[in-house]
Amino acid sequence: MILATYDLWAFVSDNQEELLDGLLNTLKVSAFAIAGAFVIGLVLGAARAHRIPVVSQLTAIYVEVIRNTPILVQIFFIFYALPQLGIVFDQFTVAWLSVMIWGGAFNSENFRAGFQAVAYRYREAGYALGFAPFSTFLNVTLPIGGRIALPSSINTYISVLKNTSLMYVIGYAELTTTSLNISNLTLQTTESLTMLAVVYLTLVWSLSALIRLLESRLALPESR
Amino acid sequence: MPEWIEPVARYILLEGLPGTLRVSAIAVVGSALIGVVFGTLMTIRFLPLRSLIRLYIEVFRGLPILVTVFIVYFGLPSAAPSLEFGPLTAASIALVLWGSAQVAEATRGAVQSIPNEQHEASSALGFGWVGRHRFVILPQALRRLLPPFVSLLVNIIQNSTLAQVIGGLEILEAGERQNERLSAIPPIGLGEIHAFEIFAGVAVLFFLLSFPLTRLAAYLEKRLA
Repeated sequence: MILATYDLWAFVSDNQEELLDGLLNTLKVSAFAIAGAFVIGLVLGAARAHRIPVVSQLTAIYVEVIRNTPILVQIFFIFYALPQLGIVFDQFTVAWLSVMIWGGAFNSENFRAGFQAVAYRYREAGYALGFAPFSTFLNVTLPIGGRIALPSSINTYISVLKNTSLMYVIGYAELTTTSLNISNLTLQTTESLTMLAVVYLTLVWSLSALIRLLESRLALPESR
Repeated sequence: MPEWIEPVARYILLEGLPGTLRVSAIAVVGSALIGVVFGTLMTIRFLPLRSLIRLYIEVFRGLPILVTVFIVYFGLPSAAPSLEFGPLTAASIALVLWGSAQVAEATRGAVQSIPNEQHEASSALGFGWVGRHRFVILPQALRRLLPPFVSLLVNIIQNSTLAQVIGGLEILEAGERQNERLSAIPPIGLGEIHAFEIFAGVAVLFFLLSFPLTRLAAYLEKRLA
């Protein structure tokens, strides 16, 4: 039978349960990875901005290695190369771990830039008021620098979400894998790709809209 | 040095590397040409044209590049049979769509950052729209675009690995094929697993290609800032 007709709605409604599971897996992997990338970025970005010995240098190496190798190679490395050393993860763990490591590297640069943009006189004021270095960070550098870093870090989270589609190569059943596996059986390639484009663009555009909203809401008073 | 390394390295460097370089070269040149034209046209006050280019930018920057690769490789042929491409060509086209959207957005910003006096002065000298942009505005804007261009090149080299997913022979695919060959049962392979060494080698190769370029981008950004 030749399937010459294009029917996006049939593709979606016939496979709605599987597609919904795929979408949920995409969101789950993204949520894990984004939460992890946030923590990594915050901690390592602060270490870099305050030039904490050893941690700062190790972070610099981590960032350069991740930024200068393709994420697909990183995924292959974790999924195919680490088992040779006896380190075996299941597909779900590889999925969130690899994008989290990737996002964490970019995010630590976002936060480093944000914290470094906080004028020294603010921190000086904190010290003058008797705050210890760590409370100065919590009460002065973080609220100001964190806001400066917010738009670029959300951009990194958007990339993390988009990169979960790469889990196709390890066969993890997120949205892209699920949709293409279905269309391999039903030959509804065009419908499958349209659905993917619509869902990803909806997610990405909503997050971009969120950036613009946050940017205007959280703008520092002096730059308003 | 173990005996298996030499043929593996030879295959990755002689069969894989040229694939990566070919895809990257086409993608960078295509992205630059289309991106600069689209970005410049974005500064024209003609709403329909501007909205069309804006849509193009938002779509191809918003889609995961892998999905764009699938659309070009699987989607286009099922829409029109004449649009069937090999894996490396399909990956190059997908990267041009993504890269040109990036360049267009950067170009729009760079062109708009050129002060209005430059437009007025060149108009006064008798340049039309095309001449004004070709000889006065773009040469200045392109200088500001140099650091983002170098970063784009790094991104394109790394994203050229997406060709691997559709079977295009570039560095990662070459490494993967050697990994499978070595792990096959003799006499086809060696029955040995060297995934760690091979993929670490692939990562090192990409690092050697990218690192000088990221340094260059950082240097240019500092100099031209």
